[in-house]
Amino acid sequence: MVNNQALSPAATSVEYVLDAVNAVAAYGSKTILHQLNLHIRPGEIYALLGANGAGKTTTLSLFLGFLAPQSGSIRVNGIDPGTHPAEARKQFAYIPENVALYEHLTARENVEYLLDLAGQRETADTIANSLAAAGLAPAAFDRRVSGFSKGMRQKVAIGLALARKVPALLLDEPTSGLDPQATTEFNRLLSLLRQQNVAILMVTHDLLSAADVADRIGFLEAGRLVEEVAAEGQDRFDVRLLHRRYAGQA
Amino acid sequence: MMKIVLRIAREECRSLLRNHVAVLGTLLLTVLMLIASLNAWEHQRNSAAEIARYQTQSNHEFESQPDRHPHRMAHYGHFLFRPLNALAAFDPGISAYTGNTLFLEAHRQNSANFGDVRQSSLLLRFGQLTPAFVLQVLAPLLLVFVGFSGIARERESGTLRLLLTQGVSSQQLVLGKLAALSAFTGLILLPAVLMLGVLALTRESAWGMSLVLIAGYAVWLLLWSLMVVFISSLCQRSRDALLGLLAIWVVAIILLPRWVPDLANAAISLPTRFENEITIQKEYLALGDSHNPNDPKFAEFRDQVLKQYGVSRIEDLPVNFKGLVGMEGERKASALFNRYAKKAFDLQTAQNGFVDDFAWLSPLFALKRLSMSAAGTDLQNFRSFLEQGEQYRYNLVQGLNKLQTEKLSYVDDTTKGKENRIDRSNWQTFPEFSFKPSSSWSTLKTALPALGTLVLWVMLLGALTLLQSLRLARAIK
Amino acid sequence: MSTGNQMSKSHHMSWITHELKLLQRAYLSILALLLLLALSGLAVWSGLQEIRHQQTTIARLAPLQAEDLAAVAHTYADAPDAGYPAYYTFYSTWDAPSDAAFLAIGTRDSAPYVLRVRALGLQAQLYEGEIFNPELALPGRFDFAFVLIYLTPLFIIALMHDLISGEQQTGRLRLLASLPQGRQVWFRRTSLRFMLVLLSLIIPVLLGAVYADTSPGALAVILAVIASYVAFWFGLSLLLIVRGWRSVTNATALMSVWVLLTLVLPTLANVAILRAVPVHQGVDLMLAQRQAVHGAWEVPREDTMQRFYAHYPEWSNSAPLPQVFHWKWYFAFHQLGDESVAPQAQAYRAGLLQRQEWSNRLGWLLPGVAAQAILHRIADTDLLAQLAYQDQIATSTAR
Repeated sequence: MVNNQALSPAATSVEYVLDAVNAVAAYGSKTILHQLNLHIRPGEIYALLGANGAGKTTTLSLFLGFLAPQSGSIRVNGIDPGTHPAEARKQFAYIPENVALYEHLTARENVEYLLDLAGQRETADTIANSLAAAGLAPAAFDRRVSGFSKGMRQKVAIGLALARKVPALLLDEPTSGLDPQATTEFNRLLSLLRQQNVAILMVTHDLLSAADVADRIGFLEAGRLVEEVAAEGQDRFDVRLLHRRYAGQA
Repeated sequence: MMKIVLRIAREECRSLLRNHVAVLGTLLLTVLMLIASLNAWEHQRNSAAEIARYQTQSNHEFESQPDRHPHRMAHYGHFLFRPLNALAAFDPGISAYTGNTLFLEAHRQNSANFGDVRQSSLLLRFGQLTPAFVLQVLAPLLLVFVGFSGIARERESGTLRLLLTQGVSSQQLVLGKLAALSAFTGLILLPAVLMLGVLALTRESAWGMSLVLIAGYAVWLLLWSLMVVFISSLCQRSRDALLGLLAIWVVAIILLPRWVPDLANAAISLPTRFENEITIQKEYLALGDSHNPNDPKFAEFRDQVLKQYGVSRIEDLPVNFKGLVGMEGERKASALFNRYAKKAFDLQTAQNGFVDDFAWLSPLFALKRLSMSAAGTDLQNFRSFLEQGEQYRYNLVQGLNKLQTEKLSYVDDTTKGKENRIDRSNWQTFPEFSFKPSSSWSTLKTALPALGTLVLWVMLLGALTLLQSLRLARAIK
Repeated sequence: MSTGNQMSKSHHMSWITHELKLLQRAYLSILALLLLLALSGLAVWSGLQEIRHQQTTIARLAPLQAEDLAAVAHTYADAPDAGYPAYYTFYSTWDAPSDAAFLAIGTRDSAPYVLRVRALGLQAQLYEGEIFNPELALPGRFDFAFVLIYLTPLFIIALMHDLISGEQQTGRLRLLASLPQGRQVWFRRTSLRFMLVLLSLIIPVLLGAVYADTSPGALAVILAVIASYVAFWFGLSLLLIVRGWRSVTNATALMSVWVLLTLVLPTLANVAILRAVPVHQGVDLMLAQRQAVHGAWEVPREDTMQRFYAHYPEWSNSAPLPQVFHWKWYFAFHQLGDESVAPQAQAYRAGLLQRQEWSNRLGWLLPGVAAQAILHRIADTDLLAQLAYQDQIATSTAR
C-alpha cells in the first residue's frame, strides 16, 4: 500500500478496546442479556455466534450507545457509550447488515460526506486509497451507489471505516448474502485490519466465515455467553466440533 | 456543531439538485410565477388605464352637461370607478368578485356593478393565476414533494442509524434538513420578492406593505418547511410521510377554505338586496316626498325654517324652500341608506371574523387575511370605496340641492311647466372623486395579528419538530 | 352444464369476497372511502340546505312584494294618471333553483336570484348586484361539483398509487405474476375500487335527488358525468402505475397531473380567455344609456314621442302631450334610451357568450372543466342561466 500510514488506526492505551463487564440489558421488564462479559483486545477478531433472539443485536446496541446497560459497564476504548455517546462513537466504525448509503451519491461522495459528518476531512487521495484498500474497483469510485451490489456497498462501508482510522469495528452479519468468493475477500480485508491493530466484533450466523477469520468465537444462548473458543494452531478451529456445538443449541 | 448542520443541509441541497421532481417542479413554479406576475402586472396596468379613462370620460360628461335644473343633474348622477391598488397585481383578492363601477344618483344607493364574477364563465371558480395563488397553493405542495422524504428516507434506508453511530445528533440532522428546505423556500420566494421590490421601487406601492407581504409569505413557507420536516421525521416510511403531508395540504388548502365560508354563510346569513330595498323603500316613503315642499311630513321642518328666518310664509324666505326640503330629505334618506349598508357590511365583517377564527385549523386563513389587507384587496378596502363613494354622492347631491336653494326662486321652481335652468358652469365647481386607500396603520392593525397567528404556528411546529427530533434518537434501537 | 355455471358463479363471488377482505385490511383504503362518502354526503346536504334557503327566501319575498304593491296602489289610488303608480311600482322577478341546483350552486352565490325592477330604464337595472360577501365567494363553494372535480381524483390517487408497486415492494409481485390469470388481478382490483368510489359518490346524490325530486333525465346525465369523470381518473392512474415505478413516484406523478389538470391549466386558460375576449361593453352601455335617457330632457318632447310612435305604432293615436310633465313622455324616453343601447347590450352579451363558448371548448382538453360545465348546465346555475334570467326579466317587464 502506498499510504499505509494513513490507514493505520490511532494507538490505543487500554488493554481491551471493546469491553463489557457484567453488562445486563433489558427492554422494560424483559432481560435480554444476563451478565455479559466480553473483552476484545486491539488486533483481535471476535465472532459472536447465536440463534435469532439470543441477544446478538442487543450486544451491538450496547456498544453503539443505542441502549444503556441496566447494570455492569460497557467501554469502547475506555469510554462509556451510554454516557458519552459522541466521544465513544469516535472510537468505532459500524457496518450494518444491509449497508445503507446515499443512493444519489457516488461511492467517493458517500465516504467524503460521511467522513465530514464524523468531523473528519481527508484528501481525495486518502479516500481513493481507502476505497482501493477495501477492494472496490477504481472504476466504481465515481459511480452512484444506487446500482451497487451488497458486496460493493460493504466495500464502501469498509473503505469508510479504514479512512476513519478507528480502533474498533462493529459488524452486524457482515457475510450474509455474500457469495463464497466475496466472503473470502471480505475475510482477507478483516485480516488486514487486524494487522493494523483494530479490535473487531462481528455478530454472525456464518460459522464457516467465523472459523476462517476469528481469533475467538463466543456462543450466545438466550442472553448468556455460554462458551468461548479460541483459535489454536494451524487449523485454528475444529469446525465439525463447532458445528455440532452451534447446531445443537439451535 | 453548526458545521455539521450546514454540511447536512448542503448534502440535502445536492440531493434536491439530483431530484428530477424538485428541479422540474421548481422550474414549473418559477415559470408560473413569472407568467402570473407579468399577466397580473399588465392586467393591473390595463385596468388602471381603463379606469382612469372611464373616470375622465365620466367627469367630462358630468361637467359638460348643458344648463339644467340642479335636481335634474342630481338624477343624471355620476359614475365612479374603483381604482386598483398597485399591489392588486400581487394579490387581487376579491377584485374579480366585486363590481368596479358605481352609479351615484339622488335618493338612491346603488351597488357596484360589472365585476368579473358575473362576466366570466365558471372557469373563474377554478381560481385565478396570480403570484399570491402560486405561493398560497402551489408552493406548499412543491415543498411537500421536495421535502417529504428528507428524514423518512434516512430512516427507511438505514442511513439514519449510520449517521447516529457516527456521532451526528438527531437535532443536527433535523436542523440540517430544515435549513436545506428553507434555502429552497428562499429560491421559491425570490421572484415574488423581486416583483414586490420593483413595485415599491417604482413607487407604485408603499414599502411598508411590500415588506409586510414578504414577511407574511416568508413565514408561511417556513411554516410549511417545518410541517414537512416534522411529518417526515414522524413517519417510518417515506410513502407514509408523502400521503400524510398530501392529506394535510388537501385539508388545509383545498377543503377548509371552501367549507368554512359555507359554515359562515349558514351561521350568519345576509339579507337579499330585494328585501332590503323593500324595507328601505318603505322607510324612505315614510320620510316624505322631498320633491314636494307641501308634503305634510316636512311641516315641522317648514315651521322650523320659517322660525329660523323670522318669516311667516315660505314665499318670503330668501332662499328656495324646495331646495331646502330636498336637502333635508336627502340627509334623512342618506342616513337611512347608510344604516342598512352598515348593517349588511357589519354582517359580512362578522362572517369574515368567523372564518378568520379557523386560522387555528388552517393557517391559510391568516395568510389570506394578511395578504389581502396588505394588498388593499380585502372587503375592508372595498367597503371603504363604497363608503367614500357614498360620501361623494351625498356631497354632490347636497351641493346640487344647495344650488337649487340659492340660485332658483321658490315661485319659479314651483310653477308647473316652467323651465328652470342654471348655468352649466356650475357643474364644474364640484371636486373630482379621488379614492383614498386605507391608511397604513389601519391595514397593519388587520395584517399584524394575522402575521402573529402565522408566527405562533411556526413556533408550535418548531417545538413539535424539536420534540420529535429528540424522540427520533430514541426510536432507533 | 348447470354445475359448471354454478361453479363459475361461486368462483366469481369468491374473488370479490377475497378482494373485499384484502381491502378491509387496508385501513387506509377503507378510511379513504368512508371519508369520500362522508364528504360527498356533506356536500349534497349543504347544497340542499342552500337551495332550501334560496327557496324560502323566494317564498318569503312574495308576500313582502304583495304588501309593497298594495301600499303603492293605496298611496297613488287617487293619482291624476297611471304614471305615478307605474313609476313607483316595482315588479318582483325571481329565478327559482332547478331540481338539480343543489349539486352545483355555481353563480347563484353571487348573482341575484331575486330582483326588483321598474318598468323603465331596464338596462340600468339588469346588472344590479346581489348583497354577497365577496371574501366568502372567492374560494368557491363546497358543493358536490367541488367534491367530484377536485377531491375525488385525490381519493382515486390514494387508492391506486400503490396498487401494483405495493405488491412489488412487499415482494409479492413475482408470485402474483407467476399465477395463471395473474394479470387479471389488477383489472379486478381496479374495478372493485372503481365501483366503491362510484358508490360513495352516487349514494348521497341519489338520496339528494329523491329529496329534491330531480327529474330522471337530469339525474341520468349527472350520473353519466360522475361515472365518466371517475373512470377517466382510474384510467389515468392505471396508465401510470403499470409503468413499474415506486409508490412514491406514482403518487408524485399522479398528483402533478392533478395539479396541472385542476389547478394550473384552468387558471391559465381563464387568463387567456379573459384577455382574448374583453367585455368592457358593459360599462360603455351604462354610460351611453345614461346619456341617451338624460339627453331626452334637452330634445323637444314631440320629437321623442314621434320616435317612440315610430317604434310602437300601436300607441301612435294616443292623446297628444299636455303642456306640463307627462309620464307617457317619461316612459317613452326611457324606453328609447334602452333601445339606443341595444347594440352595446348585444355586444356585451355576445362577449359573455363567447367566453362561455371558449370554456366549453376547453372542456374537450380538460375533463374537470367539462364535468364542471355539464354539471352546472344541468343544474342551470352557469353563466347561461344568468343570461336567461335577464332575458326573462326583460320579456316580463316588456309586457
